[in-house]
Amino acid sequence: MMRALAAAALMWSGTAVAAPTRVVSLNLCTDELVLLLAAPGQLASVSFLGADGNETALAPRSRGLPTNNGRLDSVVALAPDLVFTGGSSDRYAHELAARLKLRVVDVPPPQSIADIRRNIASVAAALGRDATGAALIAQFDADLGSAPIATRSALLLGGGGTTAGADGVGAQLLRHAGLVQQDVPAGQVSLERLLAEPPQVIVQTQYRSSQTSLGQSWLQHPALKALPATTRTITVDGRPWTCMGPLVAPEIARLRAQLQ
Amino acid sequence: MTRLNLSLAALALLLATASLCWNPVGMLTLWQRSPEAARAILIELRLPRALLALAIGGSLGLTGAAMQGLLRNPLASPDVLGPSTGAALGAVIVAYTFGIAGTLAMALGGIGGALAALGLLLLLSRGGASTATLLLAGVAISALGGALTNLALSLAPSPYALYDVLFWLLGSLADRSLLHVVVALPPLLLGCALVLSGRRGLDALALGEDVAASLGVDVAALRLRIVIGTALAVGAGVAVAGSIGFIGLVVPHLVRPRVGGRPGAALVPSALAGAALLCAADLVVRLPVAGHDLKLGVVTALIGAPFFLWLIVRQREVIEP
Repeated sequence: MMRALAAAALMWSGTAVAAPTRVVSLNLCTDELVLLLAAPGQLASVSFLGADGNETALAPRSRGLPTNNGRLDSVVALAPDLVFTGGSSDRYAHELAARLKLRVVDVPPPQSIADIRRNIASVAAALGRDATGAALIAQFDADLGSAPIATRSALLLGGGGTTAGADGVGAQLLRHAGLVQQDVPAGQVSLERLLAEPPQVIVQTQYRSSQTSLGQSWLQHPALKALPATTRTITVDGRPWTCMGPLVAPEIARLRAQLQ
Repeated sequence: MTRLNLSLAALALLLATASLCWNPVGMLTLWQRSPEAARAILIELRLPRALLALAIGGSLGLTGAAMQGLLRNPLASPDVLGPSTGAALGAVIVAYTFGIAGTLAMALGGIGGALAALGLLLLLSRGGASTATLLLAGVAISALGGALTNLALSLAPSPYALYDVLFWLLGSLADRSLLHVVVALPPLLLGCALVLSGRRGLDALALGEDVAASLGVDVAALRLRIVIGTALAVGAGVAVAGSIGFIGLVVPHLVRPRVGGRPGAALVPSALAGAALLCAADLVVRLPVAGHDLKLGVVTALIGAPFFLWLIVRQREVIEP
């Protein structure tokens, strides 16, 4: 009932407001959503991260678009009729938007898989592209599939030992590949803990793996050679995990296929 | 004096052993289940961690004592006068401007940065600047180094690089390898040896530059030796462990009253006490605090700063009873 009401409200807003033509996104995660959902010519600017191939696979789609530095004042000159922010708590930006009577839609980072669908729907509605949004949600659900019952312990692992929370959206996504994220405090695992309690599967992200950094050298620590043979390491693209938006579903599908 | 050194050395070794044997029950269970993993934890992770804590803590205590002796000022230390921030800047530039985050490159960057900061300080001290001027110049150089590091951070190519540097700057010895030991220890030990070789000179300098000169001490050469030694030791240490403050400032104050106030005689015990203090701090960061990972530089400052304040208050009571 609630969902039907929400859908009706979205459809109403989609028809009542003329589709915006100068859309600006200030955040990598909203960049990905607008690059997937907007009609040709609808976008006026994405953030510099949305144009960086190291950050998102959608970067080629933003070619030719002006980039912004993620701050509202950097896009005012573009006279946008719709601005997307990604969970912005910048009071100054909100005040500026109110003063300039700019239409701002805030898309908070997802805390659950339902939030990912909700974000797709709200961005699509604001763009006046409900049908494209519905199709993207359907594709997302198809890629994600249902969560298998047989499960293996796993650790999503990035440079420097960064990982996901055991009950966050990353862990919920991993469940759809048949993996249970280990509970590691503070979102970072130490090499000692990794060796003492190795998971059955390490999902190692390739995020910026070609870039030399302290985080990457952590992943090459000689102690990791002592991981047991029972621990399987699977590498994934990594970029979609920053936002955990619609692009993460194909990664889950690939992961599930590799594990079967 | 020898007894002091022996007891400080014993304390440092005890704390280093505690670092190796951390969580003994867990380690024994792991040894039975997976000896290979237990061996890797001991040899590849805990051994470098303990060795680096001893070496870096020792070098910070030693260079702090040497700088306080050289400038005849109790406020002098690597983190106040610029070599630490210079080293951090040098390593950040090497790692993030030139994109070489290798241990050796960062160590060289750290040493270069520390040398540049101290070189600038020496340049400013030419023509007989007063100690107060030197200290203020050091504080300014330190602030400049910090500002340039922040500039390099704000120009970071991606949020990922920013996160990488910020965590490194907070200081840590976790997850270091034997490679870090092999790369950092030679310059660090060479620097410490250079500083230690100025021991007698520092004792003579305590009586004033003129007296030291009349005793046959080449003050300019002594200064150069201590500056280069400090740059080598601090630069290599910062490149491996990030910024670790307060040890160089606090430790000499703890030690000096026990060696009759002689700066040269305070060098070895300061090194040993610094080693013990950093080992202790590195044990504190491993205590589970609400599941969060404490950072070494944060802990040394949290221990060091209140202790330093207490020292100042106590000294005031002695001076103005």
